Amino acid sequence: MNYVFHIFTIISLYVILGLSLNLTVGYGGMLSLCHAAFYGMGAYASALLMVNAGWPFLPSFAIAVIVVGMLAYLISIPSVRFHGDFFVLATLGFQIIIFSILYNWVTVTKGPYGIADIPRPRLWGLSIASTPAFFVLSLVVTLGVWGLTRRLVKSPYGRTLEAVRDDELAALALGKDVIHFKRSAFCIAGSLAAAAGVLFASYARSIDPTSFTLDESVFILCVVIIGGAGNMKGPIIGAVILVSLPELLRLVPMPDAVAANMRQGIYGLLLVLLMRFRPQGIAGKYASD
Amino acid sequence: MEIDSLNKRFGGVVALDDVTLDFPAGVVTAIIGPNGAGKTTLFNVIAGFLKPDSGSVALLPDSDTDGSGRRFDIIGLPPNLIALRGVGVLFQDIRIFKRLSGLENVAVGAKNQPGEKPLNCLFQPARVMAREKEVIEKARQYLDYVGLADKAHLWAEQLSYGQQKLVAIARLLAGDAKVLLLDEPTSGVDPDMVGKLLALIQRLADTDGRAVIIIEHNLNVVKRVGDWVYLMAGGCIEVFGKPEEVLRDSTLREMFPTL
Amino acid sequence: MLQFMANGLCKGSVYALVATGFGLIYTTSRVFHLAHGAVYTLAGYALFCSITFLHLPLFISAGLALLVAAVAGALIEVIVYRPLDRKQASSAVVMISSLGVYILLVNLMTMFLGNETRILHSGAEPTVTFANVILTRVQLAQIAVSALFVTAYWFFLRKNSLGRLCRAVADDSVLASVLGANVEATRLVVFVVGSSLAGVGAVLVALDVGVEPNKGFPIVLGAAVACIIGGLHRFIAPALGGILLGLVQGLVVWRTSDKWESLVTFAVLICFLLFRPQGLLGMRQRAEER
Repeated sequence: MNYVFHIFTIISLYVILGLSLNLTVGYGGMLSLCHAAFYGMGAYASALLMVNAGWPFLPSFAIAVIVVGMLAYLISIPSVRFHGDFFVLATLGFQIIIFSILYNWVTVTKGPYGIADIPRPRLWGLSIASTPAFFVLSLVVTLGVWGLTRRLVKSPYGRTLEAVRDDELAALALGKDVIHFKRSAFCIAGSLAAAAGVLFASYARSIDPTSFTLDESVFILCVVIIGGAGNMKGPIIGAVILVSLPELLRLVPMPDAVAANMRQGIYGLLLVLLMRFRPQGIAGKYASD
Repeated sequence: MEIDSLNKRFGGVVALDDVTLDFPAGVVTAIIGPNGAGKTTLFNVIAGFLKPDSGSVALLPDSDTDGSGRRFDIIGLPPNLIALRGVGVLFQDIRIFKRLSGLENVAVGAKNQPGEKPLNCLFQPARVMAREKEVIEKARQYLDYVGLADKAHLWAEQLSYGQQKLVAIARLLAGDAKVLLLDEPTSGVDPDMVGKLLALIQRLADTDGRAVIIIEHNLNVVKRVGDWVYLMAGGCIEVFGKPEEVLRDSTLREMFPTL
Repeated sequence: MLQFMANGLCKGSVYALVATGFGLIYTTSRVFHLAHGAVYTLAGYALFCSITFLHLPLFISAGLALLVAAVAGALIEVIVYRPLDRKQASSAVVMISSLGVYILLVNLMTMFLGNETRILHSGAEPTVTFANVILTRVQLAQIAVSALFVTAYWFFLRKNSLGRLCRAVADDSVLASVLGANVEATRLVVFVVGSSLAGVGAVLVALDVGVEPNKGFPIVLGAAVACIIGGLHRFIAPALGGILLGLVQGLVVWRTSDKWESLVTFAVLICFLLFRPQGLLGMRQRAEER
């Protein structure tokens, strides 16, 4: 039973990650490959605060989200000016730079060993230690993130953001501050990813840089693309599919190493097939991409 | 809008050669000329996508939404700030927002939407909703005016070229610009709609008092709706005058022999 | 320091080869060909299999590896990119497809050939020494062969109408096709040439340190960085960017240690994107061209 709650918790984390990346990729039209970096920075920020400074959960959560949001803003300053391929390259660069810092700045992040003994949250006297209890917390945060993104997306902000995605020049000609839209989307997405990171840190109780690599960024991108970018259902479907798939594959008898490759290979194949035949993903609404 | 001595070279090609134009409010000014005359370059300079080598593009008291009553030079401003100063453009290739519905396209055109700031969406929902109601209502009206009320919820991508153009025009109207620059507004539009469109263009100038500039290849359109005409060729203004005079001009007859 | 710079030059030579191919493909077809890394890895494994299982001599195996690379590149273009181009898919869709191809191919290779590094021969390699710098024969070959191929490529494209064709297609493929250019054939040739160059690089590296399934991605990223550093407006620019990148990496490793290598590589990328996006040899782009 604990296992089921474990899976649900992981799914909820990826729903948060997917919904937030969807803001950048699906609604903002910017392909970002540094989402795992924000995820990781959120995890490390809260872990450091809770372990080194003994802070309780909620303030750590808040500070981690805000700090990563500011960092996302800084990163967006140079990056958002670029288009298409150059933007992706820039985010790729930041992903690798941030990973390198997490991995090599041993004095602060303890390098490859990571940070251990991260406590489970204590909220208003209640200890959220067990897996089912943590799932409830995670679910609450996920619903919050869902509500927030939905509000943004359905508002004039979301509409104009999509306009910027569809034709930046035309949006400019209508008086829209295109840079502001792109930057804010990127920033908000980064903050929300950090929220997932904080949850992950408290859940896993120990973190290390290998959870936040470029591969992870690619995985989160798969969640968004396969599920369907540009609408609210897609990332949820994507998270459910991509988290359950490896568990299902476990049922097929296959050596472990091969299983991992098979799973990755399937993601690759799915991406190629989807882009060719259904670029809007499983839940996407548009006929084109 | 007043344009003074615009010059623009691209490498060895002179796109604009000491171009001076005047676009008074309440008047429809047409710019005609063969391909390569510099019309597109002029369009891009006015819209802010291109910086000229020298010259000025100024908005004057009538058309300056700022209301400060002074001459305001828009050279060097980015396109969105120029748009906020009251200049609206219609692109020749439309540039509709493909994955938004017709209604959403027009709604995007509206200026001053507090809902475009994320913080407002989260913390001032009432104010955002109030303005949004207005915006949507007006957007419906504009769509209705161009005859596409029943297509409001279709994605723009699913509309025909002519319909997309009408949506783009409605989108432009939603922005309430004082100076309108329309690049081939009637191309691709159904003949029955063209009449309505031309009437609209006329009204925008005569009744609303806006300065309307049209770039056209269709000389009939120019005859029907133009108050003044500039003929451009090779980056210079060749002829200027009332449509009847210009269309009788010998230079033009050389360029458009089929007239 | 010279030793590190020399090692960097060898690495840079390989980057030059892969970057030249990547750059050619990008400028002509606008495809951000991440799967280039998979083609690179395939070539390495082809060499390995040919020598180890088929027991073919070195030069024949190398030729086979190049052939495999060329065919793989061509197949990817025809099966994956061409249909997308016909649909006028956005560059994001194309890049994601490319990523998918890379992931698929690399995992297939790993499933069949395992995750460990396979080396081609064990034992010490004969070395050459000059000016306090020690290089193995293979490393020297990296520099020499790379220079040879890149120069040949450059001559070929300059003197040949193919070069002009590539430029035309790169600038405006619709116009080019209206004027009679066979855009799809040009793209195919470009993929074949570009992939072969990557194959050369893979062979040179395989002979040096062996083959490993995951080296393709860092190499293709390095190639992309090299294209930014060197620029994309001249045929030769990515190659120079590659060499420069190798040298910079050598410097970093000399000064600090190799753990900071990737950080510096991408920090350099960010700097170039910010301050000189057209690369060292590039021209300023007109604003409307974006």
